[in-house]
Amino acid sequence: MSDIPGIDPRGPRFGATITSVLLLVTVGLGLTALPGATLSARVTDPAFLLLAAVALLFLWGVASPRTAPWGVLYRRLVQPRLSRPDELEDPRPPRFAQGVGLFVSVVGLVLQVAGVPWALPIAAAAAFVAAFLNAAFGFCLGCQMYLLLQRAGVIGRATA
Amino acid sequence: MPAWIAVLAVTGLVAVTLAAGWALHRRDGRARTVDADAAEPTLVDSQLRGAHATLVQFSTQFCTRCPHVRRMLGAIADATDGVAFAEIDLTHRPDLARRLHILQTPTVFVLDGDAYVRTRFTGAPTPRAVTAALDRVIGDPARV
Repeated sequence: MSDIPGIDPRGPRFGATITSVLLLVTVGLGLTALPGATLSARVTDPAFLLLAAVALLFLWGVASPRTAPWGVLYRRLVQPRLSRPDELEDPRPPRFAQGVGLFVSVVGLVLQVAGVPWALPIAAAAAFVAAFLNAAFGFCLGCQMYLLLQRAGVIGRATA
Repeated sequence: MPAWIAVLAVTGLVAVTLAAGWALHRRDGRARTVDADAAEPTLVDSQLRGAHATLVQFSTQFCTRCPHVRRMLGAIADATDGVAFAEIDLTHRPDLARRLHILQTPTVFVLDGDAYVRTRFTGAPTPRAVTAALDRVIGDPARV
């Protein structure tokens, strides 16, 4: 593991704070406006557009964590004002968590396109819970879920 | 839905998440004393086990708090006579996770000198809790 450079653990929590605010706004918007009758109305819904933007940010975080916007913002603006972190963190867990967030958001978006009522605010709420627990408690729900997902046979099958 | 109900629902969501976070935080690293009736001699190679006790940490590659727990347990093992530390990566071992009923990482087992599991910690334990569990195992080596 020592060959992977560590990251400042406060970086992902900073990003999770912004993400949880965006997701909370998404939930609010999704609750006030029910999905439109036509497809074009559903995909131009403000909640849909905002969740799509959050999903893109999750995708960015999975594909290229070094260049993801909140991480860059953290390193440029926040980190220089803080003391050095006590310890560095493996970058793989937060990246995995971004993938879980991406999956949940995409499920919400797809169901909204399909016209399923309440699916978008519910998916955004689930993603909010994970992001908020990370931001406020340093609790990585996606990482905690790894063994559960593995047991369900979704990921990480034995390589033997 | 009227805006005021949406605002109420969003506020409720934040409150419920906060409560859940507190509950998780409180439960984290809880110790459970185990009455194991079977030893786990295959878990850690006998040469790597401590004479009195072995701290076994289960991790995955996607575990944020495992490195911190690893350093803490390693330091305790280094400072205590007859206590060894071992780490097992469950990333590609769903069979082991299932057999040992491990649902989250980090999970820490305290094995006694005969490789019986005496304590299980689910989550990140505090150094004090680990020391207390070790005292119980080492102070009581003649297991019946």
